[in-house]
Amino acid sequence: MLKVTSLSVNYGFVNAIRNVSVHIKKGEFVALIGSNGAGKTTLLNSIMGLVPKKDGEIIFKETDISKNPPHSRISYGISLVPEGRRIFPNMTVMENVEMGGYSKKRSEVVSKMDEIFHFFPILQERRTQLAGMLSGGEQQMLAIARALISSPDLLLMDEPSMGLAPLVVKEVYEKLSMLKNMGLTIFLVEQNAMAALKYADRGYVIENGRIIMQGKSDELISDNEIKRAYLGKEYKEKWER
Amino acid sequence: MQFFYSGLTSGSIYALVAIGFNIIYNTTGLINFAQGEFVVLGGMLMYTTLTILGLPVSVAFLVTFIIMFIVGVVFEKFFLRYVKLKTETNLIAITIALAVIMRGIAMVIWGRDSLAVPPYIEDKTISVIGGSMNSQSILVIIVCFFVAIILSSFFKYTKYGKAFRACYDDQTAATICGINVNMIRMLSFAIASLLGALAGAIIAPITFVTYTDGIMAGLKGFAAAIIGGLGSFWGGLFGGFALGVIEGFFAFVLPSGFKDAFAFIILLLILFIKPTGLFGKKKAVRV
Repeated sequence: MLKVTSLSVNYGFVNAIRNVSVHIKKGEFVALIGSNGAGKTTLLNSIMGLVPKKDGEIIFKETDISKNPPHSRISYGISLVPEGRRIFPNMTVMENVEMGGYSKKRSEVVSKMDEIFHFFPILQERRTQLAGMLSGGEQQMLAIARALISSPDLLLMDEPSMGLAPLVVKEVYEKLSMLKNMGLTIFLVEQNAMAALKYADRGYVIENGRIIMQGKSDELISDNEIKRAYLGKEYKEKWER
Repeated sequence: MQFFYSGLTSGSIYALVAIGFNIIYNTTGLINFAQGEFVVLGGMLMYTTLTILGLPVSVAFLVTFIIMFIVGVVFEKFFLRYVKLKTETNLIAITIALAVIMRGIAMVIWGRDSLAVPPYIEDKTISVIGGSMNSQSILVIIVCFFVAIILSSFFKYTKYGKAFRACYDDQTAATICGINVNMIRMLSFAIASLLGALAGAIIAPITFVTYTDGIMAGLKGFAAAIIGGLGSFWGGLFGGFALGVIEGFFAFVLPSGFKDAFAFIILLLILFIKPTGLFGKKKAVRV
C-alpha cells in the first residue's frame, strides 16, 4: 500500500534521514522503532508532506504523492496522528473531530461521526468540552478519532505512548489493535519499543536516519542487539508485571 | 448622553477595524498596519462608484467589495507569501510599507482633498433618550452589529469558519486535517480588507474621506484591538465601542483637540496594566 523508496530528508545541512526504504502492505500493523532523534518523526512527517524531501519516492496506492502539497495528501487516504497529539485546544471535541473530516463531504462526516463516537465512548461523553481540557489519554484518543474520521486506508501514528501513563498506553494500543482487526493499515513510530513490538506484526529499527534492521515483531523482540539497545537489560516494563 | 451616542458611531468603525486586525492576527500572527488604508480605499471607491460613475448604491457597494477582496488577496499572495525570510518582524514591516504605498496611490488617484460621499439613507435627526442621533450614525452602528453577528456565526458554525479557528490553534495540525493553510491566510486578509472597506464605506458620508485618514483609523483600530485583547473577536468589538465612547466623553469635557491623545493614553494604560487586554486569552499551550 505504501512504498517509500530511498527517501532522504535534510534540515539545512543536517541529514535527518538518509536512503530510507519502507513498505507496508494492506492490513498490516508495522512499527518503526528508534531512539530520540533517529529520524522517526521526520519519516512520518515527510510521508505526510510536512517536511520537504530531498530525494526518493513516496508511493501510495501506485501514485507518487511526494510532490503533492501536504494538505492534499489526506484525500489519498492517509491520516496522521502527529507527535504530541496536536489537537485544537480551543475547539470542542466535536469540532476537532469535524476538522479531521475537512476534506470530506458533510454527509460522510456525519455518518462516520457516530461510528467514531461509538468506538471512543469517552469522547462521546465529552463532545461539547474544549479539547484542551481533556486528559492526555483522552487527547490521544481524540487525535486518533480526528485522524479516523476521514476514513483513511493508512493510519500513521507518531509516538502514541508519549507522555502517557503505562495503563493509558496499553489502552491506546488496544484500540489500535482493534482498528487493525477492523482492517485498517497502521504504520506506527515509537520509542517505547516493547509496547510497539508487542502489538505490531512487523518492525523496522531506525538509527541515525537509517534503517538498520527489519523483521517480524517476535524476531525483533528476541534479537539481542535490540534488547540491548532499546529494551535495556531488564527490559520488562512496569506495566507488564 | 450625547457623547455616548457619537462615541458609539466612531466606536463602530474602530470595532470593525479592530476585528480586521484580530482576524489577521489569529491566522497569521501578524499585525497588519495597512488595515487603516483598507478603510480609506473603501471610502474612496464608494466616492468613485457613487459620485463619479453614478452607480446605484447596491452596485457601488458590490463593486467596492469585489475590488477590496482582490486587494486583500493580492496583498497576501504577492507581497507577503513570497518573502524569502518570513519572520514576523519582516512581514509586519512589509505591511507598513504597503500602507505607505497604498496611501501614496490613493493620493495620486483621488487627490488631497476631502471627498464627500452622498448619504445612503435619508439624512434626518432622530431623538433618543438624553440626546439625538443622526440616521446615518444609527446605520453605522446597526451595520457594525450585523457584521459582528454574521462573522461570529461564520467562525462558530461553518466548516470554513472552524478551519480559521483550527489554523489559529495549530497550523500544522490544520494542514494534517487537509486544510490549506495558505488559502486560509489569504482569505483572512481578504476578509480583513472587506471589513476595512465596509467601515470606510459606511462612515464616508458622515466624516468624508481623505487619503490620510488611514493612519488614524488604523491606529485607533489597533488601540481598540489591544484594549479588547489582541485576537479576541468580541474583545475587538467591545474595545472599539469602549474606545469610541471614552474618546467621546473626553472630547465632551476637555477641548476636543485632545481627543486623539486619549485613545493612545488608554492604549498605554492597558499595555502597562493588563497587556493581554480586557478579554485577551493567552494562546493555549500544549501540555
